[in-house]
Amino acid sequence: MEQKILIVDDEAHIRMLIEQTLEELEDEGVEFLTAENGEIALDIIQKENPQLVFLDVMMPKMNGMEVCRRVKKELGMDNVFIVLLTAKGQETDRQKGQDVGADVYMTKPFDPEVILDKARQVLGIS
Amino acid sequence: MAQPTLKSLLGKRSETTAWLQSWTDFEKLGIVVEDYQNNVLFGFPLTGEQQKYPVTLDADISGWVSGEANAEMIARLLSLMLQKEAEKKKLGSEVLNLYQELNVIYNFSEKLTETIDPDVIAQITLEQAIHSIPSHSGVIVLWDEGNRQLRIPAMSGELLFNEERLLKSSDILLKIGLSGQSEIITDISLLKEKGIIENEVQSLIYAAMKVKHRIMGAIILAGKNAEKYSAAHLKLLVTLALQSSTAIESAMLYEKNIREVREREEAILRIHEVTKKFVPIEFILALGKESLTDVLLGDQVEKIVTVLFTDIRDFTSLSEKMTPEENFHFVSSFNAQLGPIIRENRGFINQYLGDSIMALFPESPEDALKAGIAMQKAVYELNLRRQSNGLPPIKAGIGMHTGPLIMGITGDEHRLDAATISDTVNTAARIESLTKYYRSPLLLSSETLRHINDTKKYQLRQLGKVQLKGKYNLLNIIECIDGNPEEDQQKKKKTLPHFNEAMGLYLDQRFEHAVQVYKNIMVTDEEDYTAQFFMDKALQYLRNGVPENWTGAEEMLNK
Repeated sequence: MEQKILIVDDEAHIRMLIEQTLEELEDEGVEFLTAENGEIALDIIQKENPQLVFLDVMMPKMNGMEVCRRVKKELGMDNVFIVLLTAKGQETDRQKGQDVGADVYMTKPFDPEVILDKARQVLGIS
Repeated sequence: MAQPTLKSLLGKRSETTAWLQSWTDFEKLGIVVEDYQNNVLFGFPLTGEQQKYPVTLDADISGWVSGEANAEMIARLLSLMLQKEAEKKKLGSEVLNLYQELNVIYNFSEKLTETIDPDVIAQITLEQAIHSIPSHSGVIVLWDEGNRQLRIPAMSGELLFNEERLLKSSDILLKIGLSGQSEIITDISLLKEKGIIENEVQSLIYAAMKVKHRIMGAIILAGKNAEKYSAAHLKLLVTLALQSSTAIESAMLYEKNIREVREREEAILRIHEVTKKFVPIEFILALGKESLTDVLLGDQVEKIVTVLFTDIRDFTSLSEKMTPEENFHFVSSFNAQLGPIIRENRGFINQYLGDSIMALFPESPEDALKAGIAMQKAVYELNLRRQSNGLPPIKAGIGMHTGPLIMGITGDEHRLDAATISDTVNTAARIESLTKYYRSPLLLSSETLRHINDTKKYQLRQLGKVQLKGKYNLLNIIECIDGNPEEDQQKKKKTLPHFNEAMGLYLDQRFEHAVQVYKNIMVTDEEDYTAQFFMDKALQYLRNGVPENWTGAEEMLNK
């Protein structure tokens, strides 16, 4: 089965950064999908069923928390591994992230190595 | 960084694929795109030999386009798109590098806030540098301003640096990091010649550590690979070095401050310790204060205490045979023997008065008696040692009295002293001086005895009464013999009933009879000088008659 990673952030340079960080996975046949807001992200998740989603929290239209809640709680798509990304220091959000069913909670600026390791681990690519 | 491939350009969801599809459909073109391994990426394999046009990226062939007309144009278009994709990737990669660098500095700053130890900061810096700028070994050299020498707070990785030679080569280091420069060294032969670095080292990079214009030291990294460090590496190392320098400087300032504060504290503590020796803490505590700094002129408290005086008998004749220095040494060592005994019995020394000690026992009069006994025993032991050294024995007199006493801070605003004001002190001093008169080493007043619950524990002899000068009250004087040598105690125990009988007769003015009993006592114990004293007194009254209103009391002599 083709493996897909969805990168969701309203800032283009963050999307590009994450994509660039994960670039080497392209050689392993992983496909990258991107979305610039929560609504588009929710649409792509339902259509494409990606294995892994890097999801920004603060976004227009529908924020990451809400996207996560719908995917995990309403649609029951437990097979989608969701990494919530948020600005450093908003530690209280960590609990909210857990409540909406996020698998991992990461803070920005993120460490590229950590992102890559997590993606490899979730997709089972050593 | 991987180059973009035709496969990724012509992915299922790619716009390029969609565009190519609609165009070929519209023009009804039979076009096939293959990758460089001839796997078909677009279209269906065509029959027959077709002209293949290469799709290239930087002169490398990425794949082929074949088919009808326009295949060549499509190949060129795809080449152009690949080129654009490659440029996009390159830009992305550069942005990622910058981001990573930012991330390194961000994390590094965060780690630096976790410690205030300069050497730990150096260690963190070096670990970070080696991690971010791939190297086989690294070292931080700092100039120690205080000791005027180099030191190495951090060293990591393989042993590519010779620590000892590095520290001795400040002249060479001055040319590199310590000059304030930062650079990639290409010519490392000199460093190898001097044995500072191992032969395996192929490349070296260093950055100066400085605060403002002051050079603190340098961070040096070494690699065994021929590939040289890049300008980006140097830039990052300089950034790390500068951040680290500021942190180390702050940490050292902090350390210095802490050290100074601690030194001041210790000095104050030492002063405090010394003042405690000059003014007894018990005195200050009795005033309800915690420290000497709390006491005020006029502070005072009244307490019932037992005052004990000691005095070295015949000190004048003893001291005449000594130099002033020997004299001082003698008194000091004598006092040093008695001080602990006083403290062990919950007393404290209020004052040293030459060869005399004035001690106070605020808790219980029995404490004073116990101390007195122990002190006499100590004197006898001291005498055993003196005897074996051919020195004459010392005799000490000890007297005590219990009564009210005012402790207070007296003086004026420029000169304060802890003082005791009391009749009790005078009386105790006079009782002590009676030890000469009665030729008895340890005397207490009936006031002291009255406060001791179990007097049977002690061997006591009732001596005469004294009239305190200027007072009408008579004070009974009691001798305690528990501190006397064992042999002497035995004899006095034996004669005790007779002694008491004789004292009764004496006070009843039956002097003839009393003399008889005293004489008997002295047959058993010819060294009972106290019995001798009273016998002489009785004989004197027999000879000269008894004064009018005689109460049996001795007039209290001036000390």
